[in-house]
Amino acid sequence: MNLNIKADQGQTYDAIVVGSGMTGGWAAKELTEKGLKVLMLERGYEIKHVEDYKTAFKDPWEFEHRGKISNVAAEEHYATMYFSAKEGSQYMFTNDKEHPYVQKRPFNWIRAYHTGGKSLVWGKHTYRWNQEDFLANAKQGIGIDWPIRYEDLVPWYSYVEKFVGISGQAEKLAVLPDSHFQPGMAMTAPEIHLKNSVAQKLNRPITIGRVAHLTNPQPWHTALGRASCQFRNRCTRGCPFGAYFSSLAATLPAARQTNRLTVVHNAIVQEIILDDKAQKAKGVRVIDQNTMEVREFYAKVIFLNAGTIGSTSILMNSKSARFPNGLGNDSDQLGRNLMDHHLAIGARADIDGFENDYYFGARPGSLYIPRFRNWGNDKRDYLRGFGYQGGASRADWSRGAAETGFGADFKKKMTQPGPWKINLSGFGEVLPDPNNRFYLDNNQLDKWGQPQVVFDADFGENERAMRKDIMNDGAEMLEAAGFKNVVAYDNPVAHMGLGIHEMGTARMGKDPKTSVLNKFNQVHACKNVFVTDGSGMTSASNVNPSLTYMALTARAADHAVAQLKARNL
Amino acid sequence: MTRREAVTHVAWILGGVFSAPTIQAMNRWQEMSLSPNAVHQTGAFLTETQHEIMARVADLIIPRTDTPGAVDAGVPDFMEVMLRDCYKKPAQDAFLMGVDGLEKKGFLKLSPGEQTATLRQIEADAPKDGSPSFWLITKELTLLVYYTSEAGIKASFDYQPIPGRFEAIKIKPGQKDFMYGNQA
Ligand SMILES: Cc1cc2nc3c(=O)[nH]c(=O)nc-3n(C[C@H](O)[C@H](O)[C@H](O)COP(=O)(O)OP(=O)(O)OC[C@H]3O[C@@H](n4cnc5c(N)ncnc54)[C@H](O)[C@@H]3O)c2cc1C
Ligand code: SF4
Repeated sequence: MNLNIKADQGQTYDAIVVGSGMTGGWAAKELTEKGLKVLMLERGYEIKHVEDYKTAFKDPWEFEHRGKISNVAAEEHYATMYFSAKEGSQYMFTNDKEHPYVQKRPFNWIRAYHTGGKSLVWGKHTYRWNQEDFLANAKQGIGIDWPIRYEDLVPWYSYVEKFVGISGQAEKLAVLPDSHFQPGMAMTAPEIHLKNSVAQKLNRPITIGRVAHLTNPQPWHTALGRASCQFRNRCTRGCPFGAYFSSLAATLPAARQTNRLTVVHNAIVQEIILDDKAQKAKGVRVIDQNTMEVREFYAKVIFLNAGTIGSTSILMNSKSARFPNGLGNDSDQLGRNLMDHHLAIGARADIDGFENDYYFGARPGSLYIPRFRNWGNDKRDYLRGFGYQGGASRADWSRGAAETGFGADFKKKMTQPGPWKINLSGFGEVLPDPNNRFYLDNNQLDKWGQPQVVFDADFGENERAMRKDIMNDGAEMLEAAGFKNVVAYDNPVAHMGLGIHEMGTARMGKDPKTSVLNKFNQVHACKNVFVTDGSGMTSASNVNPSLTYMALTARAADHAVAQLKARNL
Repeated sequence: MTRREAVTHVAWILGGVFSAPTIQAMNRWQEMSLSPNAVHQTGAFLTETQHEIMARVADLIIPRTDTPGAVDAGVPDFMEVMLRDCYKKPAQDAFLMGVDGLEKKGFLKLSPGEQTATLRQIEADAPKDGSPSFWLITKELTLLVYYTSEAGIKASFDYQPIPGRFEAIKIKPGQKDFMYGNQA
């Protein structure tokens, strides 16, 4: 390692944003638009919007292995295989072999180290949390209470939603508050049948999935070069139309328009440098991933947006006389209460009939079934709830390998839409548990000399009890619709990390003794450091989290600028 | 996590996107160690005769009709690439054993009717539990390569790389499956 530290005297900024993903993009946009000179540091390589989406327009026959993962790729992407098992999107996911970590208990750490982070590969399901999500901990005596309520986020949800562009259907449900919507995507005939049957027989609503795709772009979207979704569902190869929300398509262009954003790639932030006298952060130390050169950058405010594990690791790595166990770790909560959503469980079925029903286009979204357990009058012997994403589609030619037969008739048959199939996949809430954690192992280093992350977390009794309902309730709904061969499934090896909603390792709270961040995502004991990705979450809800991270980021940025102006930072 | 667990995840998550045999094929990663010459080995995987046998088999599965057949779409060559790069040794062995069996039967010298009957027998004898077998691998690869080839796609489906909208529609008689090129 090159220990010749180059101090960038001229390189002093108002703010440093670490990470260019979902939340880093928002931090950069908000801070630059409010007049700050911002440096964004991204550990991965650069991907340029549109021109670097190198597989987006490839036809199936242009892929070396026709989309199948090769032996070599399988070795390199063992943890991310579920989502990168396709040739077209492999380059959007981090190579696990090159970026190792330790699984004391099984954990999938799915990462996207490049411009845009996971905002380039996410599923785009976008839901507000509800009032109860922010109250449940306090009411049930689980973990600690949130320092904020749903109402604190409402204006920020609205603000973020309008900019993001979310398609969906307003339903006026307390369990799933409406966002500002663009037109929702269509349902297929069997899906409408399921929706009606489940409403009638089980009194549960089903809505179209709320996804961050433009279906009716507004002037502020088109001004950034974003266009309406083309329904190709090739999103994980990058969207040349800018139709789904990503940092690359939306927040970074907005931040660049201010001329106050500087982005440095290949810059792995190792630690925050503390000004011991002032008890404030004065900058960050960075290692170049290619040249190994170590550099320092300085700013008045630092936003950590490196993804939950990434940001919390940086805090852990930032040791000083004042913080021997990591910056802001007076509570010993750093790395603890690691949460995710549990999935790989649900039900599927075959659908008889609907032979004359079909659909045109590839929908990059699904149905959504909001939580109904432990809600209203429903009471279970576990806490919290779950929702489902899923949908019905017609089988394509790939069904043929499992069918008997070959020859001319068989060949013809494969060119026609196959029978309908449906799948409902559950997403359950995970409770915070201080023993579910990760830490850094200073004896196992990666090739940049950084301590490896050690995961030590698993689902608990509550999650296991909930899983039974996820299976049974999924099957019950498919049966209510009269579908055939209903199979309720639970993958026994489902475990933490696979949900890719890792959160909670630097939780927000009112009391610095039990939490790392305050209600504005500021480190309690070091106020000019903000952590606004999933690290701050005090509980997990059961809906996808990214919208809430974005709203929290915009809110924190607003607070940071106000505090800077008031000379409090 | 073992490979088997990992690929089982894929199956569950994608629920229905992959055919059971494909999942089984992926499952085989578990038992198979990565042998360096299984990855980017140059040169032929099959002998010339074996290659000819597989071309014949593929063409019996997807024959030329009013549209191109498996050989027209380049299935035999590609099959070898796929076997070499995406399957590990036990699956390759199971496959090679099957080809060998056909060679010993003098497959190429049989009449078309006998060839079809031979394949029917192999299909009937193939294990139904999805474990790697000559028949499963052959059929899966033939379908994959054919239905993702330019000739296969354009002749078989209504290919719509940029559909522009999503809507529920009614099917027309003889409706071809829409293909959007989003499987890779
Ligand atoms: C396949 C998939 C599907 C998903 N589906 C959904 C969904 O439907 N809905 C939903 O709400 N969420 C979904 N998610 C989760 C969503 O992507 C994340 O919640 C979101 O991206 C988190 O934002 P972030 O800014 O914290 O992290 P990221 O978007 O991952 O960005 C972090 C960035 O920081 C960089 N970085 C990391 N460490 C350092 C360092 N030390 N120095 C400098 N830079 C660093 C990374 O390279 C990366 O660019 C999905 C994720 C995946 C992978
Ligand atoms: S489906 Fe829509 S968002 Fe996805 S790649 Fe196509 S146009 Fe872009």
